[in-house]
Amino acid sequence: MIKVKNLSHSYNKDEKYQVKNINFEVKKGEIFGFLGPSGAGKSTVQNILTGLLQLQEGEAVVADYDIKNISKEMFNKIGMSFEQSNVYSKLTAKENLDFYSKLFDVKTVDSNELLNLVGLEGKENVKAGEFSKGMKHRLTFARSMINEPELWFLDEPTTGLDPSIAADIKEIIKTKNNDGVTIFLTTHNMFIADELCDRVAFIVDGEIKLIDSPENLKLQYGEQLVEVEYIENNETKIKTFSTVFPEDKKALQTVIDQHEIKTMHTKEATLEEIFIKVTGRGLV
Amino acid sequence: MLKKIWTIFKRDLKVNVKDFISLYILIMPILFGVLINIFTPGINDTTVNLALLEGENKEQITYLKQFADIEVFESENEIRNRVEGRDSIIGIIPEDDAYYLLTQGNESEAVIDYAKLLNGLYESDINAKDTNAELIELGQTVPPLKKSLVNVAILFISILGGMLIALNMVEEKVDNTLSAINVTPTSRTTFILGKSVMGVLLTIFGTAAIILIIGFGGINILQMILIILVTSLLSVLVGFIQGVTNKDIISAAGSIKMLFLPLIAGVLAIEILTDKWQPFFYWDPFYWAYKGTDMILSESGTWTQILSYSGIVLVLCGIVYAVLAPRIRKGLE
Repeated sequence: MIKVKNLSHSYNKDEKYQVKNINFEVKKGEIFGFLGPSGAGKSTVQNILTGLLQLQEGEAVVADYDIKNISKEMFNKIGMSFEQSNVYSKLTAKENLDFYSKLFDVKTVDSNELLNLVGLEGKENVKAGEFSKGMKHRLTFARSMINEPELWFLDEPTTGLDPSIAADIKEIIKTKNNDGVTIFLTTHNMFIADELCDRVAFIVDGEIKLIDSPENLKLQYGEQLVEVEYIENNETKIKTFSTVFPEDKKALQTVIDQHEIKTMHTKEATLEEIFIKVTGRGLV
Repeated sequence: MLKKIWTIFKRDLKVNVKDFISLYILIMPILFGVLINIFTPGINDTTVNLALLEGENKEQITYLKQFADIEVFESENEIRNRVEGRDSIIGIIPEDDAYYLLTQGNESEAVIDYAKLLNGLYESDINAKDTNAELIELGQTVPPLKKSLVNVAILFISILGGMLIALNMVEEKVDNTLSAINVTPTSRTTFILGKSVMGVLLTIFGTAAIILIIGFGGINILQMILIILVTSLLSVLVGFIQGVTNKDIISAAGSIKMLFLPLIAGVLAIEILTDKWQPFFYWDPFYWAYKGTDMILSESGTWTQILSYSGIVLVLCGIVYAVLAPRIRKGLE
């Protein structure tokens, strides 16, 4: 669905590249996470792929359209949800969606249906300018689905949303993906990436450091540990055992056999810990 | 493409009628028309008013009605009271076998002379048809002041059209919605055309309103539409450039006001300066637009003249476009 080869971009059109030599592919039906700290070059790559920035160097094909000679028809196939809400504040929620639906050449989704989907039912006739930040974000998110895109670009889709709304948004993303929509997710939130993405790319200082599935990364970079909380001589103790080394496995078995276990859980590395380990950088 | 242009225009219209400043700009042409009508005399008005005694000399009343506004009164006292009113009116009152003129004393000399002359011509039994002079008209059928005001108002409205475009573009910038438009299948050309419709339509609607309110019904409408369309191009261009380069409405409106300078310069050059100074203003599109509109309002412009002036305005707008286009394109990214 997306093919990027040797993509580089410099805002000043000089040798100081904001992104350099980017290569990756996104398969149809995949959720691909583009992860990195602020200023890493995530949005630059996304803006090039959506035609908001001109392709300077390299090659990129998006939804079978060559980005070098971008065709406006491509936008009938893709949807874009921006990190910063960008809706007409003087128009109502429904007027906003109705307006955008008329700018597409394909069948569009009913505005009320989309508003209901993102939890804005009853707010159809309220001006977007009167919305809270979270409501504007949901309206922006709803708008990106209006043309039923085959390829969906999501830039920080849950940023600034309260946990229950964020959970709803994640459910919508999963449902759309199950319906066959390919998703390009740009985020610095490793938890959402871990939960949603089939594969992730770590980008730092304009370069991709690694691409793999979250599971493989955890296997490759995480340590297999089990943390056990148990009672010994009327005292609560906590110990961590490796599930790889035989002596640890044996010790764990002894604890289970001889003591009352209060809690026990695996301690696999988080995506954030792996990111720091691989890139040597935090996500802030 | 036309459907999308219409959609973008309808969105702007919907927002503009909800916004006080935009709504004020939209109804401004009607206000102009009404104000010009109130503060300038009508096309066929005369400035000489005469007061006569009712039934004293019907033949005289009929004769003088051809050349002045006549009011009749039942007595000399009533005429005296009327003459003492605030406006200029001259009483013609019988005395013995002749008439005397009753004035307040502050009337202009020309008005008094005109009244004297009319009375003299009547007493000498001279009519307009008795003259040997041949009448040659120069084509002026409307008062020059009214025509100039209408002309300036039309050009002014074209600038308001640009201001409206700038306001709508500023709204796009403030709400950051240009990026959302850029990820739809709407081309930049379609977007620009859609955004321009409001400014151009305001100019056409405003011109039509002024012409209808003031009563220039006999002018060549096609010539007027042509010159208005090319004039509004300049305002559209400046409206776009100010819209994409300003982040708030006040600064955009302030920048648009700069357009009034070339407008006033063009008007003053034609109305006040002598021929030798005219070439200094040939760069000014409003100069040519004013010239062309003046001919149309006088009903004296030939198609060759109007096409020439429109062509010059078009070329000048083309030069402005060549200069501004890169900045507009960058602003829309």
